[in-house]
Amino acid sequence: MPPHQHHRMSTVRERASVSYLLALPATLWMIGGLIVPILFIVWVSFWTTREFALDNPLSLTHYIKLFDKPVYLKLVGHTVLQTMVLMGITLVLGYCMAYFIVGKVQRDGRKYLLIFLLIIPFWTSALIRTIAWIPFLGVNGVINQSLIFLGLIDEPIGIFLYSRTGITLAQVSFYTLMATGPVVYVMRNIPPSVLQAAQCLKASPFHVFWRITVPLTLPGILIGQLLVFLNVMADFATAAAIGGNKFAYLGNLVLLLYDSGQLPFASVIAVVMMVCMLAGVAMMLKVVDIRRLGAL
Amino acid sequence: MHWRTRQKAAKIILGGITFFFLIFQWFPLFTMGVLSFTGPDDGTTFPMRSLSLHWYREFLRDSFVDDFKPPMYRSLVLAVICSVTTAGLALAAAQAMRSRFAGSDLFFYLILLGIMAPGILVGLGMAVVARVLGIPLAWYSTTLAVHLVWTLPFGLLLLLAAFNRFDRELEEAALTLGANRWSAFWRITFPLVLPGVIGAALFGFTLSYDEFARSLFATGSEQTLPLIIFAQFDRQLQPTLYAIGTTTTVISLGMVGLFALLFRIVRRRAQTTSPGVN
Repeated sequence: MPPHQHHRMSTVRERASVSYLLALPATLWMIGGLIVPILFIVWVSFWTTREFALDNPLSLTHYIKLFDKPVYLKLVGHTVLQTMVLMGITLVLGYCMAYFIVGKVQRDGRKYLLIFLLIIPFWTSALIRTIAWIPFLGVNGVINQSLIFLGLIDEPIGIFLYSRTGITLAQVSFYTLMATGPVVYVMRNIPPSVLQAAQCLKASPFHVFWRITVPLTLPGILIGQLLVFLNVMADFATAAAIGGNKFAYLGNLVLLLYDSGQLPFASVIAVVMMVCMLAGVAMMLKVVDIRRLGAL
Repeated sequence: MHWRTRQKAAKIILGGITFFFLIFQWFPLFTMGVLSFTGPDDGTTFPMRSLSLHWYREFLRDSFVDDFKPPMYRSLVLAVICSVTTAGLALAAAQAMRSRFAGSDLFFYLILLGIMAPGILVGLGMAVVARVLGIPLAWYSTTLAVHLVWTLPFGLLLLLAAFNRFDRELEEAALTLGANRWSAFWRITFPLVLPGVIGAALFGFTLSYDEFARSLFATGSEQTLPLIIFAQFDRQLQPTLYAIGTTTTVISLGMVGLFALLFRIVRRRAQTTSPGVN
């Protein structure tokens, strides 16, 4: 931005004191509705007893419980594994769709139509969309009926409902949007002249894609994968509805403990979840930085 | 293979993937809509032996409606409050960020944290705060608090985009011609960024109306619509749930359509009339 633009007139002056006043309500709301609750979870996770007293002595009692039974650590493993599977699927699927919509669809009208068809379910209830998957997955469900109709199987197979396959199918349909959206956004901002310049210099299409398109869309990929990672890590509703009581992830354990009144232990699991998330975010940032250096 | 053929093949494959995914994404919703008209003796999946409005009538039966009406009302009121608050706070926050005040970067990240923080953590945290401090959980206080944390970041991003695009020279002209900042903002700036405000309101409404994870922990005994649907689903899956699901989905889609219409009208107006003249 040229320097003179900093001194342009505007309805809000540079560093005007009124801007603090304008930002105050949002700041207070975010602190009260997000920061304080998270800090309380961390605090309560160190409580020694279940009693509700502000002077509850602090200790690692409930953290030690985590290692009592292998079940808890296994659950952490299952949750991380499921998250990684979802990240892999949504990365490929989401990138293919973004590349098609931005790079291959010529007419603007069709482009917007596809983007809208992709986004609209985001504005409907995730819970209803989960329930809508049920008639597909059962032994007599739509998937089994179609497979029999197509002659691919003779007898209905029970791998869909109350199974990891079913949960994964539903999650892919919910979360791929989060991987596609940021890539579409970033890809639309790549000036066509950059790609044309590379083509003029006789770069092969694959080279243009791998050395220019992918590095330039990396921020979009990163944000998308971050959203998928955080959401799948914390998802409990899909497993609760489609997995029956057979499959659980960390989120389901938090809910179970909360419902049975074990607030400190529920908080411990929530903290474990948060630590996994922070570790994942830190790792992703590192991986992307290294790749970016390689691409340049 | 010639590169042109190869590119055509890539287009067909990628298009196929996109097409397949869109069907995959929309098909369950359509199927639920179709199955909601299943006959009274049919189950929760195909085959449908007859068509009927049985499950909608079942849904409208007194005992059922008495259960569902109050949550429906609460969800709608909550969504409207959340919509207006999101639009208002996001507008103020975006206008504040234009001044690049000290700490505005930190402020931006604080709000973005609302998208990143998973619902289950925010909801559990609010429940813990309420229990420890002795605040009663209620849909109009604690639930609203956690819903807004989720909707505000979307509103802010939309408004920052709107402020990035709008023609600052119109604002400058008004100020040069002697308008004070207050009237220049409301008569010039606000109408120009109104599409962004409408977008923020849409996110505020639909995300709140459909929110489940945050509400599950932060709402007291007076439940919202997604909560009572989940409770019903937990008890027994009946085609009644398809009827309810189809109804609420139609409401959600109707709201999206309404906002899209409003968005078009406002944008056309901003393009055709020169603001400030009237």
